[in-house]
Amino acid sequence: MGYVLLTVPILAVVLFFASKTKQHQHVISVAASVIMVIAAGVLTGEILQGDFVEYVAWGWFFRMDALSVIVMDIVVIIGLMTSVFSVGYLENEIRHGKLTTDRMRVYYSLMYAFIFTMLLALTVKNIGIMWIAIEATTLASAFLVGFYNGKEAIEAAWKYIIICSVGIAIALLGIIFLQFSSLTVLDSSQFLDWPAMIDHATELQGPTLRLAFIFILVGFGTKAGLAPMHTWLPDAHSQAPSPISTLMSGVLLNGAMYGIIRIVAIVNRSFGNSEFVGRILIAVGILSVVTAAVFIFSQKDYKRLLAYSSIEHMGIIAIAIGFFTPLSVFGGLLHMINHSFTKSMLFLATGNILQKYNTREISKISGLFKMLPVTGVVFLLGLFAIGGTPPFSVFASEIVVISAIFQEQNFFVGGLLILLLAIIFTGLVVTLFKMFYGKDIPKEIVPGEQNIPGVVVIAGLLGMITVMGLFIPDELRTLIDQAVKIVIGG
Amino acid sequence: MTNYLDALSVLLLVSAFILMGNKRTGSYIKTFQFQSALVALLTGIIGINSFAEEGRVDVLIIGAIVVGIKVLFIPYLLKKTYAKVAYRVEKDFFLNIPLLIIICCFIVVFCYYVLSETAGINTGIINNQMVNSVSLILIGLFFMISRKKAIGQIVGFLVIENGIFVTALFAIQGMPFIVDIGILMDILVAVIIMGMMVFRIDEKFGSINVDKIKDLRG
Repeated sequence: MGYVLLTVPILAVVLFFASKTKQHQHVISVAASVIMVIAAGVLTGEILQGDFVEYVAWGWFFRMDALSVIVMDIVVIIGLMTSVFSVGYLENEIRHGKLTTDRMRVYYSLMYAFIFTMLLALTVKNIGIMWIAIEATTLASAFLVGFYNGKEAIEAAWKYIIICSVGIAIALLGIIFLQFSSLTVLDSSQFLDWPAMIDHATELQGPTLRLAFIFILVGFGTKAGLAPMHTWLPDAHSQAPSPISTLMSGVLLNGAMYGIIRIVAIVNRSFGNSEFVGRILIAVGILSVVTAAVFIFSQKDYKRLLAYSSIEHMGIIAIAIGFFTPLSVFGGLLHMINHSFTKSMLFLATGNILQKYNTREISKISGLFKMLPVTGVVFLLGLFAIGGTPPFSVFASEIVVISAIFQEQNFFVGGLLILLLAIIFTGLVVTLFKMFYGKDIPKEIVPGEQNIPGVVVIAGLLGMITVMGLFIPDELRTLIDQAVKIVIGG
Repeated sequence: MTNYLDALSVLLLVSAFILMGNKRTGSYIKTFQFQSALVALLTGIIGINSFAEEGRVDVLIIGAIVVGIKVLFIPYLLKKTYAKVAYRVEKDFFLNIPLLIIICCFIVVFCYYVLSETAGINTGIINNQMVNSVSLILIGLFFMISRKKAIGQIVGFLVIENGIFVTALFAIQGMPFIVDIGILMDILVAVIIMGMMVFRIDEKFGSINVDKIKDLRG
C-alpha cells in the first residue's frame, strides 16, 4: 500500500498536465485523494496489527510506525477535505475572473507535489532524506503562497521561502552534528537512520548531541512556526489561497513537529531524562503561546488571526512534548490531531467568507449569519472549538495536556498556560464577534452559500470534531498509545 | 592530504571575508563562484583520496555535480537575473564595510570558542577545519542580513549551504550519497524559484531592495 500512497500524488501531477478541461482536473484531484485515504487506511490497519511496516527493498525510503502513521492520516484526510473544497472554491474563482484553467492546473499540480513531499517526509527512515523532503515542502508551496501575485502575496512568498530555507539549512547543520555524535557507534549503512539511532541512543556523544538538538529545534521549529522563528507564518497563511492555508496549518506544521518529536525521542533516550530538552521546549512553547496571545488582540485580518492561533497550538504541543510523560505526550499527539481538523475547518470557512465579501479585514464584514448561514454557524462554533470550549475536541486534548502538567507538580507552567488560554479565548471573541451580526451589509453582496461541496466538507468536519471531543475511538487510542511508546520507549 | 585540506578550509574562510567586503552585486556573485570552485576542489581531493583508498567513486561524482550546479549554473542564473533587474546602482549595505569585517572576525572567534568548549568535537586538538567551516555558515547568515538586495539574500543562503556542505565533509566525511544528491537538487530548485521571485518583486515593488518590502507586519 505504501507504493500506492507515494505514487498516486506523482501520477496525479502528471495527469494534471495531460488533462484538457477543468472538470477532468477536479475529477483527478478528488479521485487521487480518495485513493490516498484508502491506502492510508489499509496501512493504518497493518500498523495496528504489527508495530511497523517496512519495505526492505526500498532501503531508506519506507518505514512507518504509529507515530508517522498518525501524522500521515492527518495529511491524507485533510488532503481529501481540501481537494473537495477546492472544486467549489476554484469554480467560484473562475466565475469571478480571478483564475484561468491554466492557472488552475498549476494550483492543482503544486498542491499534489506538496502533498507528495509531505508524505515522503513521513515515510522515510533516514533523517537526511526527511530533511530533503521537508525542504521540498517549502519549495512546492512557495508559489502557492504567492499564487494571487499581488504585492502582499509576493512579499509573503519571499519571506516564506527565505526564512524557511535558511531555518531548514540550520537544521541540516544540526543533522550533521547528529551524525557526528554517532560516528563511532554506527556503521556507514546506518548513518542518520533513526531506528538504529534509537537502538544505540545511549552510546551517542552527549555534548555534540546537545548542539545537534538545538540546531535541529531552531531549524524544524522555524517550519513548525514556533516563536521566535514564526515570523513567516502569519504572512504566508493570510496571503495563500484558503485551501492552501488549510494545508499549511493542518499538515505542514505537523510535519515539522513530527521531525522535532523524532529527534527529541533520540536525545532523551540518550541522556536518560528529559531535563535538557524539556526546559528548551517548554520555554519555546510558552513563548509561542505568549506571542499568539499578544498579537491576536491587535489583528485586523481574520486569516492572520487564525495563523496566530496556529502558533499558539504548536506552542501547546511543544510544551506537551517537553514534559515527556506518557500522559503529556499522549495529550500532545491528540492535540496535534484535534488542532489540525479544527483549524482546517476554520481556514476552509474563511475561504467561503473571503469569496463572499472579497476582503480579509474583520471591520468590513458584518452579518455573517445572514449572508452565509452554514459557514457562519460553522465559523462561530469553530472559534469556540479552537478557543477550547467543551464539547469540542480541542478542549479534550488541552485538558489532557494541562492535567499532565499538574501531575508533574509544575503549577507555574500549568497556571500560566491556563491564564494564557483564557486570554486568547477572550481575544478571539472580542476581535471576531462583530463579524457575525450587524445590518450594514453592502447591497451588491447577495446572501446564500456559493460553494456547496465546501459547505458539506466544513459541516462534516464540525461533526467530526464534536464527536472527537466526546469520545476517542478505540483504534485511535491504541494508535496514540503505540506512538507514545515509540517516543518515550519501554 | 591534511595540509591541503587545512589550506583549503582557510581559503574558504578568506573567501567569506572577501564576500563581506564586496560592494557590488556583480562582484559578490563572482566571489561566490570562486568559493564554490574551492568547495568543488575540496570535494575532488577527498574524492580522489577515497577512490585510491577504498575504490569509492561517489564523492567524485558529488564533486562533479557541485561543479555543474554551484560553479557554473547558479552563478550564471544569478548574473542573468541581476542583469534583468539592475537599472540603477544603489548603496547595498546597512553598515559600512570595515565594521562588517570586524563583526566577521568576532564570529570566527565565537565559533572557535564554542567548538573548543564542546567535548565531543574538541578531542585534545581543536579541529580548525570545523571552526573555519562553521564560521563560514555564520558569516553567510550575517551576509544575508547585512545586504539590502534580494540577490544578496540568495547569495547569503548559498554561502550557508556551501558552509554546511564543507562542514559535512570535514566532520563526517560527507553525507550518504543519496542525501548529498537530494540536498544539491533542493538547492538548485530553491535558487531557481528565488530567482523567479526576484523578477516578481522587481515588477511589483519597482526595486529589489528588501527594506522596501515591509507591508506585512504584526
